[in-house]
Amino acid sequence: MRRVEHVMGFPVSLRVDDEDFPAAAADGLFAWLREVDARFSPFREDSEVCRLDRGELDPDRLSPHLTEVLGLGERYRTATGGAFDVRLPGRRLDPCAVVKGWSVQKGAELLRAAGARRFCLNAGGDVVAAGGPWRVGVRHPEHAGRLCAVVPLTDGAVATSARYARGDHILDGRTGRPSTGLLSLTVTAPTLTEADAVATAAFALGADGVPWAAALPGCELFAVTADRRVLRTPGFPADGSGQVAA
Amino acid sequence: MKRALPVLILTVAGLVPVWRHAPADEAPATAAPAPAPTVSTVPGGTTRVVAGPSVDTEKGAVQVEVTLDGDRITGVRMLRQPDHPQTTAAVPTLIEETLEAQSADVDTVSGATVTSDGYRESLQAALDAQGS
Repeated sequence: MRRVEHVMGFPVSLRVDDEDFPAAAADGLFAWLREVDARFSPFREDSEVCRLDRGELDPDRLSPHLTEVLGLGERYRTATGGAFDVRLPGRRLDPCAVVKGWSVQKGAELLRAAGARRFCLNAGGDVVAAGGPWRVGVRHPEHAGRLCAVVPLTDGAVATSARYARGDHILDGRTGRPSTGLLSLTVTAPTLTEADAVATAAFALGADGVPWAAALPGCELFAVTADRRVLRTPGFPADGSGQVAA
Repeated sequence: MKRALPVLILTVAGLVPVWRHAPADEAPATAAPAPAPTVSTVPGGTTRVVAGPSVDTEKGAVQVEVTLDGDRITGVRMLRQPDHPQTTAAVPTLIEETLEAQSADVDTVSGATVTSDGYRESLQAALDAQGS
């Protein structure tokens, strides 16, 4: 089964290889992602996030999901010394960077609960895969139609943050200015909750983010620096990636 | 875990100038307590392997070895590290490679594909079209 829908502002591609996987379960996944968009989008005035930001919600009585999302944001703000922050000064509350990975990971768990064993879920370039082998290409930061690495993945997640998507859209919360030290950063982790948050947080840190993410247990990374060098951890599961600089 | 990382970075950062300015016959630096780094050259290349001084930390001694190609660090290896699980997990080793463009047979593509325009031109769009 294959499905593609636009949710939360990006395309979500689902492939489930299990025979007779119920279409209703795929519907459930996309319904969950639409619910997440309605509740946590900073661009919808009636979302929980916007209402909290306007002071219309009691911070002590938030929904468990919103509490979880804000907890994730706080965890990575602390871990990056403020470079990653869902509450940048002068801007509205924007937890998108943690909501995406968290909600897609939860969506993958819905698929699993419905009986999916071999599936690949790609939400705007962030991937959760199960029951591999799967081959996940990493988009080349300068050529949309080319790859710069291929990750063999059995069960796990791959997330990429990059400047090519929306220009300099990831801000370093320590300075309030766009983070420009890296062209792209790809992180593998057991869950997309972690891979996506780490990729965005490390990108916000710029060049400092490479050793920071490399030190996180369970995370492997592949970074392309602004001067077009690749830095990766030895455990990054790349097939036929760039040659080791001699 | 958070303590080990700055130690490594400082140790590595400290090595590069040491190597650059350490020809064999140079006079010893003033009252340097640490042993001089050892440098070995891989035959037939510009790659050099430099072992840094051992640095004492509250968890134990740390010593790293870096592989340099010219001034670029292409590899870092721990020679000594405190026998502590957190420290072991925290030591980041990075490999430097050249950026290559390739085409390959893949099932899906990871990339920051945010807009619909980006998606249309992307490989993932091609893969979705192929499979439907």
